[in-house]
Amino acid sequence: MAAEDLYPSAAGRPARGIARKAAAGAVLAGYSWLAGGLAPFTTRSLLSVLLPGAVLGAIAYGRPPERIPAPATMDVAGFSYWLIAVAALFEWEASAFISGSHWWHPSLTELITPLIAPHPVRSAAICVWLLGGWALVRR
Amino acid sequence: MTTRIITMTGFAGLLAVLAALEVLGRRPGNRIPTAGQWLGYLMRRPAGRLLVLLGWLWLGWHYFAR
Repeated sequence: MAAEDLYPSAAGRPARGIARKAAAGAVLAGYSWLAGGLAPFTTRSLLSVLLPGAVLGAIAYGRPPERIPAPATMDVAGFSYWLIAVAALFEWEASAFISGSHWWHPSLTELITPLIAPHPVRSAAICVWLLGGWALVRR
Repeated sequence: MTTRIITMTGFAGLLAVLAALEVLGRRPGNRIPTAGQWLGYLMRRPAGRLLVLLGWLWLGWHYFAR
């Protein structure tokens, strides 16, 4: 017996779900492409970051999606590995930043910025950033 | 070896460590949490959620708006 025989209203759900995901993917790709083409240090590029921030902030606090449950406890020893690695990364970045971020001692920003300069790469990076934001909202 | 290469090696090494921690965290029975788990733990309270989301927004501003 088919699912639509048991639950007539569920017949269109899978198709609707796929259509919604396809639409969301198209919007995400289109927005990433448009935002990736904006010149840095402009009001438009600033707005292209603030707009998804405002939208995701509103969703996170106003109408949050079904969230992945957070662990009730955290293993301190296990978490400390992350803490040490992240602190070391910040320290490494700070040492380069404080020394002026010269060619001979570049900061991570100085290294990444030229890599994401081409439009397609920049758009892909923005897409990953947006997906990361959505993943945070779901947590 | 120039200081530039040492600096770049340091960044690459630290990023590799972060990736390795994520891989280890996904193995069953491991004490190391995944990034999603510890971020989720930090976001249990509204203040933690706000800080994490602001960090995400700062990343976007830092790399894409300036």
